[in-house]
Amino acid sequence: MSEILLDLKDITKIYSNGVVANRNINVSFKKGEIHSIVGENGAGKSTLMKMIFGIERPSSGTITYKGKEVHFENSMEAIKNGIGMVHQHFMMIDSFTVAENIILGMEPRKRKWFLNKKESIRLTKELAIKYNFDMDVTRKVGSLTVSAKQKVEILKTLYRNAEVIILDEPTAVLTPQETETLFENLKRFKEMGHTILFISHKLNEVKQISDRITIMQNGISKGTFENSDISIEQMTELIVGRSVTLSYDHIKKPMKNIKKAFRVDGISLKLKGVNVLRDVTFTIREGEILGIAGVQGNGQTELVQGLVGLQDMDSGNWYIADHEITKLSIEKKRKSGLAYIPEDRMKEGIAQGATVAENLISTYYNRPDINGPVFMKSKVINEVAQHLITMFSVKTKNSKSKIESLSGGNIQKVVVARETNTNPKVLIAEQPTRGIDIGSEEFIHHQLIEMRNKNVAILLVSADLNEVMEVSDRLIVMYEGQIVAHFDHAKEVSEKELGLYMLGVKRQDEESLKRALVC
Amino acid sequence: MLANEKIFEAVKMIASLLLALLITFVVLLAVSSTPLESFSKMLFAPLTKVRYMGNVIELMIPLSFAGLATALLFRTKLFNLGTEGIFYFCGVVTAAIATQTFSNSLLHPIVTILISGLVGGAIAMIPGFFKAKYNTDELVTSLMMNSILFGLGLYVIKNFLQAKDVPGVASQLFQSTALLPIIIPGTRIHIGFAILLVVVLLLWLMLYKTKLGYAIRMTGLNKSFAKYSGMNAFSLFLIVHFISGFLGGIGSSIELLGMYSRFQWSALPGLGFTGALMAMLGKNDPFGILAAAFAISYLRTGADIMARSTDVPVEVVAVVEAVIVLFVSSQYFLRKYHERALIKKGEQQDA
Repeated sequence: MSEILLDLKDITKIYSNGVVANRNINVSFKKGEIHSIVGENGAGKSTLMKMIFGIERPSSGTITYKGKEVHFENSMEAIKNGIGMVHQHFMMIDSFTVAENIILGMEPRKRKWFLNKKESIRLTKELAIKYNFDMDVTRKVGSLTVSAKQKVEILKTLYRNAEVIILDEPTAVLTPQETETLFENLKRFKEMGHTILFISHKLNEVKQISDRITIMQNGISKGTFENSDISIEQMTELIVGRSVTLSYDHIKKPMKNIKKAFRVDGISLKLKGVNVLRDVTFTIREGEILGIAGVQGNGQTELVQGLVGLQDMDSGNWYIADHEITKLSIEKKRKSGLAYIPEDRMKEGIAQGATVAENLISTYYNRPDINGPVFMKSKVINEVAQHLITMFSVKTKNSKSKIESLSGGNIQKVVVARETNTNPKVLIAEQPTRGIDIGSEEFIHHQLIEMRNKNVAILLVSADLNEVMEVSDRLIVMYEGQIVAHFDHAKEVSEKELGLYMLGVKRQDEESLKRALVC
Repeated sequence: MLANEKIFEAVKMIASLLLALLITFVVLLAVSSTPLESFSKMLFAPLTKVRYMGNVIELMIPLSFAGLATALLFRTKLFNLGTEGIFYFCGVVTAAIATQTFSNSLLHPIVTILISGLVGGAIAMIPGFFKAKYNTDELVTSLMMNSILFGLGLYVIKNFLQAKDVPGVASQLFQSTALLPIIIPGTRIHIGFAILLVVVLLLWLMLYKTKLGYAIRMTGLNKSFAKYSGMNAFSLFLIVHFISGFLGGIGSSIELLGMYSRFQWSALPGLGFTGALMAMLGKNDPFGILAAAFAISYLRTGADIMARSTDVPVEVVAVVEAVIVLFVSSQYFLRKYHERALIKKGEQQDA
């Protein structure tokens, strides 16, 4: 049990863009333990795992595996040595069956040249039974649920005789029930002698599953602890340097307004023959936050893309107050009072290579007050930027620093600051705090609520259940492109119940859905 | 010190130059019987006479214009290499106007250059339109446009402007009213150089101080971000293409009116492609391009003098150019030292 299987010494990783992702990391993993790596996104967890798995090479330091120093040139070598990784984004071929996906690259052969289908089905079935996974290996992967796909990914590593299994944020895409099942499976693997490296930033899950916990902050290790020796509060403190409570009731002003601010009527979308969105209809009042909960990939992204004008919808209309904005250009939609915090801040939220100030004005760069007759008023722009930087306490050297020199949380603050600076009537916030530190997260939540208190209607889309439940006033649940549940009081729903709707097990009747959507 | 991005870039640039020169010297050792003399000729000859320095500046003018035209497209992440064809065709346009009689020697070149620019802009908008509207690959359309423009230009010259008394492709002589005046006696540096400096300044101001420049830079850095922010890619692409074509057009016109007495390009002049090189070396910055054009012109002039006065063929300089570009554009060259400096800096901050 206490035998050290994998030992990292003085690992430092610097990416070619100058980002120091890991600095002098020392950590060892024992045989047959579940070892969690926790830390915020950007703390260097994924980079560390990628180095163990051979996708990245350390800039300095050594990795010792089974007593021998190893230098994996690529992931194939890591796999051959018994290290497997389940990525956050699954690496599978949807049109292949479960069995085909599992054996891909290590196929059982018939007469040297031909694929032995029977044998591959037999092998994968045996594997599934051995690890107590109940699944039909002849089904196409594309037709599986997310959690089933994850099981296939795990089976893939087991088929390759992985002794060490790295799971990168495996619960991010799972409902609470599915997470439970995953944990039972992981515990069984541990009993069978596998070492599990579990990456997460959900602390209660980590507490529940781990034997030992390594905490990372800002590229360095804050230490490895026995689970019994550390409380969630202590972990939080190590991660952010203080403990944080997530409740906002005290700052929410009571809602008096019943004026409708944002109305969405019957949006549908079909992509490649699949109904991605089906008759999505809802209304948000002024000064109200409507949360959309749901497992990722149930149409939320497409809905938001449609609403802001980045993707065409098949049908449906949407209005700010009574002003229809369905067909307007993005620029005109924004001018009508729409603001949008995008899901992927690096892809859409900012322009890397531009300064903080330049990133702070992009959605209103042609506004008269920051433009002269010919030139932009750089003095005014800097004042605006400076004001926003102070107001949102963005940590940056100055407004002329390159945006990419900021941390994830501060970049997100820049995005939020910009979107609030147009005095929007409607704000769509998509995963506004994903992968940022808890301090920034709380700050951004405060900002959202402050906007709500100033009568902005907010649509909050998030995969983080705590977030949608704590921040929203009302809540809807999306499953397979449809609204399947609506709750008048977001806080009064239990996580368990929400999970049932998110999984499609339960569905409210049409009557209560309708009542809710007209509000 | 190397941790600073700007200092690092400068060090990298100088190191690439030195390395390229070293490689050149090795090449010279192989091809020349007096390698040292040849080498010093190439490096220092342009400095020895005002006329030689004049050659450098003369050569630099068209290279800069081509570079500026291309850089604007590159800035917007448009890989359009159509400056070549525009240079050629606008040269024909220039010839058509410059051969007409015109009483006013102030207006004649101005009109010629402006019309040439407008034609260039209009031509550039064709691939621009297809890019903006249908997202066609501008690399393909612009390269095809080059062939079309070359054919079309040659047809116009041969059928309408051909001088009967000169063999080969040649227009009639430009009217003396159309030619650009020389501004530095003892050289052939013409007023086009002054125009170039003004254009560089204007472009810089446009790029860094105006809304349009802001939109261009943001679109170039991140197209999704620009779209998300509500910037209109359609009109932006058209405008950028127009300005680029305009720059190509006036560049071509200025080159012809400043340096030639008739149009005699029987093949694509190659300036457009060199423009892409300038844009790359100059990091798509107007002043950077000016510097790059100067450096390359200096090198070419030096090589030219070396070829005339020693036994080294002029082609050698092509090797130097290529090596410099390779090193400067390499993402990894010297990167290790940059990273090491970054680690050190990080450690110092921790301590």
